[in-house]
Amino acid sequence: MGWRQSLQGADVPMGRTIYLNEPLRNAFCENSISTAKYSMWSFLPRYLYLQFSKTANAFFLFITILQQIPDVSPTGKYTTLVPLLVILVISGIKEIVEDYKRHMADKLVNSKNTIVLRQNAWQMILWKEVNVGDIVKATNGQFLPADMVLISSSEPQATCFVATSNLDGETNLKIRQALSETATMKTEKQLSNLSGKIKCEEPNFHFNSFAGTLYLNEKSPISIGPDQVLLRGTQLKNTEWILGIVVYTGFETKFMQNAVKSPLKRSKVEKVTNMQILVLFLLLLVMSLVSCVGAIYWKDRYRAEPWYIGKSDYDYHSFGFDLLVFIILYHNLIPISLLVTLEIVKYIQALFINWDEDMHFKGSNVYAMARTSNLNEELGQVEYLFSDKTGTLTCNVMTFKKCSIAGITYGDLSSKSDDGAKGFSQSPCFISDTYEFNDPALLQNFENDHPTKEYIKEFLTLLCVCHTVVPEREGNNISYQASSPDEAALVKGAKKLGFVFTTRMPNSVTIEAMGEELTFEILNVLEFSSNRKRMSIIVRTPEGRLRLYCKGADSVIYERLSENSLFVEETLVHLENFAKEGLRTLCVAYIDLTEIEYEQWLVMYKKAITVVKDRMKTLEDCYDSIEKKFLLLGATAIEDRLQARVPETITSLLKANIKIWVLTGDKQETAINIAYSCKLLSGQMPRIQLNANSLEATQQVISQNCQDLGALLGKENDLALIIDGKTLKYALHVEVRKCFLNLALSCRTVLCCRLSPLQKAEIVDVVKKQVKAITLAIGDGANDVGMIQTAHVGVGISGNEGMLATNNSDYAIAQFSYLEKLLLVHGAWNYFRVTKCILYCFYKNVVLYIIELWFAIVNGFSGQIIFERWCISLYNVIFTSLPPFTLGIFERCCSQESLLRYPQLYRISQTGDIFNIKVLWIQCINAIVHSFILFWLPAKMLEHDMVLQSGYTTDYLFLGNFIYTYVVVTVCLKAGLETMSWNKFTHFAIWGSIMIWLGFFAVYSSLWPTVPVAPEMTGQGSMALVCPHFWLGFFIVPIVCLIQNVAWKSIRNTCHRTLLEEVREMESSGVQVLRRDSVQRSKVEEVNLQRSASPRPCHVIFRNNSVDLGAPHGYAFSQVERAVISQEELVRSYDTTKNKPQKTFSSATLE
Amino acid sequence: MTWSATARGAHQPDNTAFTQQRLPAWHPLLSASITLPLFFCAGLAFIGLGLGLYYSSNGIKELAYDYTGDSGTGNCSVCAMAGQGRAPPPPCSCAWYFSLPELFQGPVYLYYELTNFYQNNRRYGVSRDDSQLSGLPSSLRHPVNECAPYQYSAAGLPIAPCGAIANSLFNDSFSLWHQRQPSGPYVEVPLDRTGIAWWTDYHVKFRNPPLVNGSLALAFQGTAPPPNWHRPVYELSPDPNNTGFINQDFVVWMRTAALPTFRKLYARIRQGNYSAGLPRGAYRVNITYNYPVRAFNGHKSLIFSSISWMGGKNPFLGIAYLLVGSLCILVGFVMLVVYIRYQDQNDDEEDDE
Repeated sequence: MGWRQSLQGADVPMGRTIYLNEPLRNAFCENSISTAKYSMWSFLPRYLYLQFSKTANAFFLFITILQQIPDVSPTGKYTTLVPLLVILVISGIKEIVEDYKRHMADKLVNSKNTIVLRQNAWQMILWKEVNVGDIVKATNGQFLPADMVLISSSEPQATCFVATSNLDGETNLKIRQALSETATMKTEKQLSNLSGKIKCEEPNFHFNSFAGTLYLNEKSPISIGPDQVLLRGTQLKNTEWILGIVVYTGFETKFMQNAVKSPLKRSKVEKVTNMQILVLFLLLLVMSLVSCVGAIYWKDRYRAEPWYIGKSDYDYHSFGFDLLVFIILYHNLIPISLLVTLEIVKYIQALFINWDEDMHFKGSNVYAMARTSNLNEELGQVEYLFSDKTGTLTCNVMTFKKCSIAGITYGDLSSKSDDGAKGFSQSPCFISDTYEFNDPALLQNFENDHPTKEYIKEFLTLLCVCHTVVPEREGNNISYQASSPDEAALVKGAKKLGFVFTTRMPNSVTIEAMGEELTFEILNVLEFSSNRKRMSIIVRTPEGRLRLYCKGADSVIYERLSENSLFVEETLVHLENFAKEGLRTLCVAYIDLTEIEYEQWLVMYKKAITVVKDRMKTLEDCYDSIEKKFLLLGATAIEDRLQARVPETITSLLKANIKIWVLTGDKQETAINIAYSCKLLSGQMPRIQLNANSLEATQQVISQNCQDLGALLGKENDLALIIDGKTLKYALHVEVRKCFLNLALSCRTVLCCRLSPLQKAEIVDVVKKQVKAITLAIGDGANDVGMIQTAHVGVGISGNEGMLATNNSDYAIAQFSYLEKLLLVHGAWNYFRVTKCILYCFYKNVVLYIIELWFAIVNGFSGQIIFERWCISLYNVIFTSLPPFTLGIFERCCSQESLLRYPQLYRISQTGDIFNIKVLWIQCINAIVHSFILFWLPAKMLEHDMVLQSGYTTDYLFLGNFIYTYVVVTVCLKAGLETMSWNKFTHFAIWGSIMIWLGFFAVYSSLWPTVPVAPEMTGQGSMALVCPHFWLGFFIVPIVCLIQNVAWKSIRNTCHRTLLEEVREMESSGVQVLRRDSVQRSKVEEVNLQRSASPRPCHVIFRNNSVDLGAPHGYAFSQVERAVISQEELVRSYDTTKNKPQKTFSSATLE
Repeated sequence: MTWSATARGAHQPDNTAFTQQRLPAWHPLLSASITLPLFFCAGLAFIGLGLGLYYSSNGIKELAYDYTGDSGTGNCSVCAMAGQGRAPPPPCSCAWYFSLPELFQGPVYLYYELTNFYQNNRRYGVSRDDSQLSGLPSSLRHPVNECAPYQYSAAGLPIAPCGAIANSLFNDSFSLWHQRQPSGPYVEVPLDRTGIAWWTDYHVKFRNPPLVNGSLALAFQGTAPPPNWHRPVYELSPDPNNTGFINQDFVVWMRTAALPTFRKLYARIRQGNYSAGLPRGAYRVNITYNYPVRAFNGHKSLIFSSISWMGGKNPFLGIAYLLVGSLCILVGFVMLVVYIRYQDQNDDEEDDE
């Protein structure tokens, strides 16, 4: 470190200096990473620290320490320590197992191979051995081992493509370009002779910033920017090889700097549980105080202590001493085993999620994965779902699906033939070819000299020529690489129809139209921008004519059509139909230019590109001047393919009263398209579009809309709200925020477009705070990490290459549609399970330990225990430990099928009515009543100590064992009463627990004096188990306790039937479908159903122009804008007839 | 942080009913129609059982006499007055006369009952050394600290048996005399003072320390009796099988009671003419009145009781069964009402549709 400090202290203002080819001077962190929590040595201290920072464990540690004070503890010195140790050991084992997995995963990453230049030769080394200053060579498809500065590459102009989906979730490839000064350095010799240094900033987490300077000896310094930097975690694409100098390694890479530990999330249930534990703690204090007061009163009544008790040296009258005694006596009110029980239960619940075959994506063999287990029950309470679009709702695969040429639509085949909606939506992402454009009618029309033949030819030619795609020929196959997926889809579509784009040269493109080779000279590329919404290309056709091809949004094309243009009306209808299906549409048109027109324009253009100020604007004006009088050819429709079953899932989730917001970084048009195709938006739904440029405008439009809604504000309306990132920035300003949220929460669907990752997180945060409901965010890319971490539950889509979202998520699933099962089945089940388990744990502890209070009343508040001390401590660890597990693991409110068929059932867990402080109080009062019965009935039964047939008298522990047995029976039966689904494990837990206690009782009473424990238990078993009173009480006492629970449950199930009871009844009677009338009988649910499934149509009269009531537009197009290299430069730089430079590392020595 | 997370498929267990959460299960759904017959059946069964228990308990005879000696209640009040405020109270004896008009069906057991005596007080209850009582010589010499202040005598000798429980051993004694004919002589009824302790107590839990030269007295040499005792522990009874720690009176006393009113078995009457019970006639119980209970407002009583299969007389369980049975029937009727009402309502609704 000191070395680094002194480096910083030198003349460099920036953070670090890397010396080229001087490995000894570059001392930075290693490239090996560790994500594990513990090491061999740190395990014990760190683990103990973590455990005892949990309040409950600290409390029990405190009790254990108290017990060591002589004479304080009524229960001996080790009775809390032992169960605590058992529990610590169990969770310790769990931690070790989990950490071992992390160690293994790290090892896998650290021992990947890469090639670096060492001793003037290429050597294969492990990732962890890569050091700062190394020159690394990576080949196509490889992941980069560290952050590095690009030196040179195999591509023209020393460019390279990287897939950054791991980092930022964006799926288009990024172009990186080496500095021209280093672009020629390709051989070992050149590289070895490289000398100089790189100065750059300290490691940070900003992906898109980098500031550095390259000082090559005897040359002037050159600045290095983000365009030269390749980051760890990115993948090299479409590039033969690259060379780079490592600048950041290991934890200092931007990838690792971003991979901050996800914040520890606590579920709502956990928070409520903590409150409840606090309540119990207060109860404990109250009981202790009451007992202390009782003790004072008792001593007071006798003025002096009775003679038989005997005086003692200790001062027993002190209040504080008594308080400690009673706290120890009652401390078990707080269930010691609750935390570990919950941990194990949730771990197994997580395993169930991992194992679920219904969430197993066979395409890539990915199972769902619960990355944390402490949010399992939160899945049952989700009210707001924030979804990313790309890669989450969609596959991010574009397919040329339909087109309209000269007023005739093609490609409607699948929807015409059978179930159109099904064919449209259920297409799995990974089966591609069958779902592409396939309409023989188009080719027939073309070949049979249909009147529109020429238009078809022109249309397909346009698709082949007007784009920025680069073809790559491998043998006879041509694959296309494109930064715009839309263009790739169009070119591929044209290829399928016989118009194959084969070669790109700097000044021309060659296509094969039906076998005929045509070369178009490319004169100008009129670039795409989201402002222009179109791109054009001016070509000289093989016949030598000048022609401008244009494709773009319907709105921009239509306003530029010449009056001679045909098929305008028909195409408009088709466009509307495409849009309703959620297809992305583009209009295509052309215009023949005269030479004079073109010459004049060229002069203007040349002037425009030299303008310095406002060049963009000038250029656009210039483009605009020639893009006019278009002749319409038709329209294309591209399907941004949805993942399987997305619309169904969304419908189902909406029925479950989950509100769905789509947050996307993509464009507004695209978002709307997708919303239509996944049935979030329907044709008639009014769309409130908020696009404003200033705070005032935003404020004004929002309040206008709020006014228009009037009384409907705050209710759920059949409205859609669409807002873009810029407006959202204003809308989230403090003074507008409240208004905006009111508006947004009144809409059924909210689409937020063009959001930065930060905004995504911000909006989740704002909603989370405003509505106090459970939120879930789902996404697949690094841009979703923020919202995944902010939301109560974060779900990552796994299986794509980007793992950042997955790694920061709480649950990872392979498909959006698995969310349905994850929430409706696992979520609801887990909620029932965890809450029942917790309430039951509270109940059983209160029942047993309140008995000590009743006993204190008859023993002069002296702190005497009525049970044997080890029986008390083993109560939670053995005798009643199984029922919480079966409740927590196997409880089912109803079957998976029913939960999926009636999503309304989700309401039960969503509202959280079955678990709150009030429920705890009811449970506590119930437990207190039970404990009252459980103490006083046996006490009265044994009142005269004369229940044995041989006339012997009995003692306090005899009564204690009666009570203890009845408690175990009652508590086990109560678990049975709570259980809705009894499987073999439940039977074992309930009947087994009772048998275990009876067996233990028999054995334990015959240990003394052979084993020096429990002298007071001697003979208890043999006396009690043959005593008729014992068995008479065995039946009556638990029944007296539970009679009111049974009665109450039956009355409630009969009088106040909810949907759940109906469904359960239907299940047990074996009827498959719930009769319609019986659904309607459950009125409450019916209302819910109506509200969520078919919201009232909205009858608001909007008086502002931000509301779009008309038919949807389908335009959407994605293209990289303002990249390092402009679209034109990119097109000009390729010559696909030439081979790329050969590999320069043929002599790489492999270790 | 790792790119290998997708390679998990291999670790998946078999696709079983357990992993897919499809284990066969029973789904009970409690409703009025199901619990209705249950309540009625249980109610009837409980009432039947309750009646049996009640009559069974009523068949047990019990005869009790409070001999604490509150002023004006029999002749023990003299002893009570004499013992007032004096510790230790002077030896005193009194008697209780009673007559039986008919045979007191046997076997008859004699109990004493103390009230307001908190044997369940924690500091009293822990004040004993079970190791010492199980005859461990080391514990005999070094009683545990819980026995304090009855751990060591003033002279520094270990107390055997140590602790407050032993120190407060009940030391009244009774003898029963029967007058067969009116104004005839009283004949002593033999009281069996053995076999009153639990078998495990007498044979396992309580053991004398190993004899020294065949003498129990020597084994206890170097120990002191508890301060309230007049005799050392090895002289509790002349019977070698009933002295020392295994003296049955002592063993019975050491089993501390749950409630402040408790009974302890004193003797069994089962010998000679009395094995079938106490024949009719007049009786006298001679009481050696030693034990001071007035200091803590306690009472002491003497109880003759016969014992049946369910032990002594206690009608509580029978009454409890009767009550619970009635409660079940009552709830059953409530269920019936609920069932009929909601059945109708449901039918109506179905008709409406």
